[in-house]
Amino acid sequence: MSKHKISLKVNGRHYDVEVEANKTLLRLLRDDLEMTGTKCACERGDCGLCTVLLDGVPTKSCIVLAVEVDGHEVTTVEGISEEGINAVQRAFIKHGAVQCGFCTPAFILVATALLKRNPRPTEDEVKEAIGGVLCRCTGYRQIIDAILDASKGA
Amino acid sequence: MMVKFDYLKPNTEMELATLLAKHAEEAKLMAGGTDLLVLMRDKVFRPRYVIDVKGIPELRKLEYNEYDGLRIGAAVTLNEILKLEVVREKFTALWEAAGTLADPTIRNRATLVGNICNASPASDTAPALLVLDAEVEIKSEWSERRIPIQEFFKGVKKTALEKGEFVSAILVPNPPEGARSGYMKWGRTKGEDLAVVGVAALINAGSPTIRIALSSVAPTPLLVPEAQQAFEDGVSFNDRVEKATAAVLSNICPISDIRCCKEYRLSMAEVLTRRIIKKLLEAS
Repeated sequence: MSKHKISLKVNGRHYDVEVEANKTLLRLLRDDLEMTGTKCACERGDCGLCTVLLDGVPTKSCIVLAVEVDGHEVTTVEGISEEGINAVQRAFIKHGAVQCGFCTPAFILVATALLKRNPRPTEDEVKEAIGGVLCRCTGYRQIIDAILDASKGA
Repeated sequence: MMVKFDYLKPNTEMELATLLAKHAEEAKLMAGGTDLLVLMRDKVFRPRYVIDVKGIPELRKLEYNEYDGLRIGAAVTLNEILKLEVVREKFTALWEAAGTLADPTIRNRATLVGNICNASPASDTAPALLVLDAEVEIKSEWSERRIPIQEFFKGVKKTALEKGEFVSAILVPNPPEGARSGYMKWGRTKGEDLAVVGVAALINAGSPTIRIALSSVAPTPLLVPEAQQAFEDGVSFNDRVEKATAAVLSNICPISDIRCCKEYRLSMAEVLTRRIIKKLLEAS
């Protein structure tokens, strides 16, 4: 199996790493870079819990090879805010939008990306944007409320 | 654990063609990778080489011009297509179909050509491309050809691609003046599920022309040319709708599977076909 030297930025920091061809971005983040905020669940692109921002765009890291990310920039929940927590995270706390918490990093990332692209989304636009992430506690109401609230400046 | 392979990333179509000519039997092409990576984890595919096509600038191009229509390169993502205003306006069936495929996060990565090359009977985009009369541009080290999309699907997960060939682009001509198109999907859930049944239609009330194609009702995505004559035979608005719907029903052969039984598929195919014809006719 081929090995590849890649350079990438994760949360603003530059990394040079060597990866095997079949290593996913998810495994690189969790196992090699020891950033466990990105969760591993279905590992087949269904649940969306491994979502990260790849060049600012929500991406399921379990179905991206690490080698594909050479030269690109990744943001995980650890790097979503430069100081403390961001407006989406504050709104999640305020609305109790966290039950078991396993899906929370993914929702924070898709919501943050949505508000950057569309600062005043409608409820339908919020629902559409979070369509790729599953919450098995089914706490969607609070999650949607929190994102809408964050869009109003929380 | 995923199977082991060598990763190759050509920078030109020629390099890709050469790699394919050399490794055709042992290689899998990767665009978005949203299906391939899952299938390699399940060990359905065990390629020796994975060839990433995203490094080829030519394949990343999404172009429209008023004479030739749309040209969608093999590495163009579904969300890139959805963002193009002319797709929503003129190629509505494709726009609606692309917007129902999987979920918005997957669509940031998944490509139209990848969806077509998978040749799933449940493909959302295939019925849209069938009613829009799309062509598939196919290249290899020694040849280049174009075929109508209905000749591309040969069976469940089987395509017309020969050894060493790859799809470089999908070409969608401008629809006839005055024509409207759309796609309707019925799934168990609103997001992230394959279609129980999907129906695309293109109607030009003036000529009159009707093209209907369905997913999840046959071994391949299916165009139903019989709908045209049935539609023309209708003597009133409702009669046209009912005759065309009946023509569709008598030409599909769905199966029962994990999503639903055959009878339900037939029933929903009827409902959706009638619904989309009416919607497009009323909008004309």
